[in-house]
Amino acid sequence: MKVVTVGTGMAAAEFVQRLRRDGFGGEVVMCSDEEFAPYSPCVIPFYLAGEPLDTVYWKGKDFYGRYGVQARLSDPVVEVDAERRLVRTAAGRSESYDRLFYAAGARSWYPRPEWLETRGVFGFKTLSDMVAIDRYIREHDVRRAVVFGGGFIGVDAALALWHRGLDITLVHRNTRVLSQMTDEEGGQFATRKLAQKTGIRFRLKTTVGEIAASDGQLKAVQFSDGSTVETSLLIVSIGVSPNSEPLRGDDKGVPGDPQMLAESGIYTAGDVAVTRHAITGATGIYATYPNAMQQARTAARHLLHGDGAFGGSINTNVLKKHIDFPIVSAGSFSGEAVTWQQGDIWRRVYLQDGMINGYIIIGDTRISGYIYQLYLSRKRVDRTIREILSSPRHDSYYRGMLGLAMPLAA
Amino acid sequence: MKRIFVDYKKCLACKACETACAVEHHPARSLPAALGDRKTQVNVRVLGIEHESFPLSCRHCDPADCLNACPSGAISRDAESGAILLDAAMCKACAMCAMVCPFDAISFKVTHRSCYNRDVAYKCDLCNERIKAGGKPACVEACHSGALVYADYEADRPGRASRSLRTYLLGAEGLPPRFELFRELRRKEFARRQGGA
Repeated sequence: MKVVTVGTGMAAAEFVQRLRRDGFGGEVVMCSDEEFAPYSPCVIPFYLAGEPLDTVYWKGKDFYGRYGVQARLSDPVVEVDAERRLVRTAAGRSESYDRLFYAAGARSWYPRPEWLETRGVFGFKTLSDMVAIDRYIREHDVRRAVVFGGGFIGVDAALALWHRGLDITLVHRNTRVLSQMTDEEGGQFATRKLAQKTGIRFRLKTTVGEIAASDGQLKAVQFSDGSTVETSLLIVSIGVSPNSEPLRGDDKGVPGDPQMLAESGIYTAGDVAVTRHAITGATGIYATYPNAMQQARTAARHLLHGDGAFGGSINTNVLKKHIDFPIVSAGSFSGEAVTWQQGDIWRRVYLQDGMINGYIIIGDTRISGYIYQLYLSRKRVDRTIREILSSPRHDSYYRGMLGLAMPLAA
Repeated sequence: MKRIFVDYKKCLACKACETACAVEHHPARSLPAALGDRKTQVNVRVLGIEHESFPLSCRHCDPADCLNACPSGAISRDAESGAILLDAAMCKACAMCAMVCPFDAISFKVTHRSCYNRDVAYKCDLCNERIKAGGKPACVEACHSGALVYADYEADRPGRASRSLRTYLLGAEGLPPRFELFRELRRKEFARRQGGA
């Protein structure tokens, strides 16, 4: 049997590693539009912040050799012909398969794709992006950057470049950064604290309207309020779209069934896959590493053993990069809000039917694992949650285990 | 495979475990060097909860949520000992592990293992080198009262989840009288300080 993966990202690497670990001896071909060994997108901004490139290869730089993979690199797959069981690439090559693992990930979405033709404008999604930005900063002695977009990737970009010593302005359409990971109040708290701790200038309710270039070189950026900032570096990170066109003909993602099959003989996983949420049942793209990994393992197991099912995705995430100020969240931000705040720490849990519907924990990772387990286990917490959040020593889990009552919240 | 079990009723909160852990994981392997060193790493923490105390550390779960959440290849399991290990050179301190750890057993700071002049995740490594050489973890060896016990773990105990602390609690067999006396005194002292009876 011959297995082909579209993508060499985290899902594809996990999938191939699992196949080999469980004794799969057939041919494995991995296809990518990039030139690298599988790398961790979560880690790549650290390369820009000055850490060694080799640490991005989370399963080793020698992955293809070690797992007996034929790598077809720097040539994107543009079409999947499911009838003939082959994929075609942009360079006109084709590759036949018996089983296909479709994990092509997602790409940056650009409001004005033509901006990318100007030197100094970059996306912030791939290792190719990081290598290009790093080279550009060194060659042009860049001191100042504008980041357009304040979602997870935008804030990640701003913090990485800030850590490198650049003067950063982050422009974001919303009233707060990380608007998907936070509610209004939590997001504003996080935005305020990040500004205080880093000196990054946050321009909220603002977008980039135009860019000014001379001889194809970026000179300045004009904001929607009419003001301009001189800069030779603009990062555009306002959104991503899944690379589902070669398989589905549109960019709405690839729905996977509980075995992560998109259709007969074709598995999917990762940032391109549409799955069900483990708690709410809502279908969507849940683009985090733990989801991608579980999806990939489900597919590998089903391919080899014909059993197993994916338990559903969880939309839990944390942003803690280049600065010791974590922002953790999961679930949905609706229901009865229970909030606790002290100094740099802000915690809120949303309750529905006495159970945790969603939560946001800012400034400190303590108790976040306990809250996560309470969220997953669907335990009723309406009588204890106030004390859990406010417990001055963050010891509520151990109190419960030792049979000691919670002290009354102040 | 062996794990560290806790008989918390025997814990006198002497913190000998913390001290031994700090020395074991300090590059100089000495108490004077570890004291007052901001990079000193202590992987076990004696939690004082009212009149009780509890030495808290990584339980090396199987399956381990932290291992499944780490996107940087920093967390692995030693196939021989079963210990969950953290490679500071690969760790980006992104907190994905801490976000899912049921035991709050992963912390962040600049340690002697930090490679890039920033914080890294740190946690108990079960003293992997020691145990593979046939020894016990440093904290267990240092525990005078028998609150920490290094013993065989039956991963397949029915009805017991590795993610529950109960799996790792000992003490069903009752306490020697001198411990009961100590606990009674400590309970009274705690109540007195609280201004109660």
